[in-house]
Amino acid sequence: MTRLFLISAVIIFFGNISTGFAQTQRIALGDKAPEIELSDPNGRPVPLSSLKGKLVLIDFWATWCAPCVKEQTELAGLYKKYKRSEFTKGKGFEIYGVSLDAKKSNWETGIHTLNVQWIQVSDLKFWQSPVAKTYNIQELPFNVLIDENGIILAKNLHGAELGKAIAGYLIRK
Amino acid sequence: MYDVNEINDLTMKTKIAIILFLTVSLPGMAFNLFSSQEQKDPWTPQQLLNPAELAKMLNNTKLPQSYVFSVGPQAVIKGSIDIGPARMKGNLDNLRLQLDKLSKNAQIVIYCGCCPFDRCPNVRPAIELLKNMQFRNYKLLNLPRNIKADWIDPGYPVND
Repeated sequence: MTRLFLISAVIIFFGNISTGFAQTQRIALGDKAPEIELSDPNGRPVPLSSLKGKLVLIDFWATWCAPCVKEQTELAGLYKKYKRSEFTKGKGFEIYGVSLDAKKSNWETGIHTLNVQWIQVSDLKFWQSPVAKTYNIQELPFNVLIDENGIILAKNLHGAELGKAIAGYLIRK
Repeated sequence: MYDVNEINDLTMKTKIAIILFLTVSLPGMAFNLFSSQEQKDPWTPQQLLNPAELAKMLNNTKLPQSYVFSVGPQAVIKGSIDIGPARMKGNLDNLRLQLDKLSKNAQIVIYCGCCPFDRCPNVRPAIELLKNMQFRNYKLLNLPRNIKADWIDPGYPVND
């Protein structure tokens, strides 16, 4: 009996090991999100800390990442809906898009084609970008939701879960 | 003498164990089978090259060096040749031009590293090209997650 359980446990373990690891918990909820000091497509530096006071979604993406591109339309919906809303965790909602693109032309074309309205920054260093290390990004898309003081409220929420998390901080009047 | 109830109890236990074993492990096996059938990758498991092996070659110039082609967004690996994303026809044509110069026996390594293989739009066109051009010694670098997790993080050599 015990042996059978052991065998099945081993099979489950090795059967699922290839299907992916969870994000390592180095960027933990309740921690202060590390500063990101990157520039927008015009070369203007837009530090993450400049968004202090707002509820902010840091969205790590790239035009070469198909699921990320797909997600941009969902983010556009959230942005439009909550941009001017008041939250218990900040006044107004902003998205800080950090691209892991490698080539500026691809990045710019992506922003243009997808009609992205929010802040976009990148160092165009692909997976060699230091932010990938700082934020311990294992896979794209990846995101972090932070409050008015840059404290991490949630990470890697997508689809309905993300919308629900943001709506949860709304101040109802 | 055996007690009948005890035997029944024993067979019952065995049955429960078998049922538990099957319910717990079968879905996983079925899933693995399904996903491997689903993809029909143009490479064989033997054609997957372990990153540690390539790193060893790059770190020791006395070893015979392979031609390493990046077919993804950026040539991260030290000394690799930047083709650009092979999903774009122009880049694939460029790869063909580069390959035309090589012997069919040349040692060739292909990598992308944007994302896991099942999502990568670049490795398949490149590997299919090598296959169609009848190269004999080509490998696909095994980067199951991406170039960061499987190459940069372990500290293997990168282009500056």
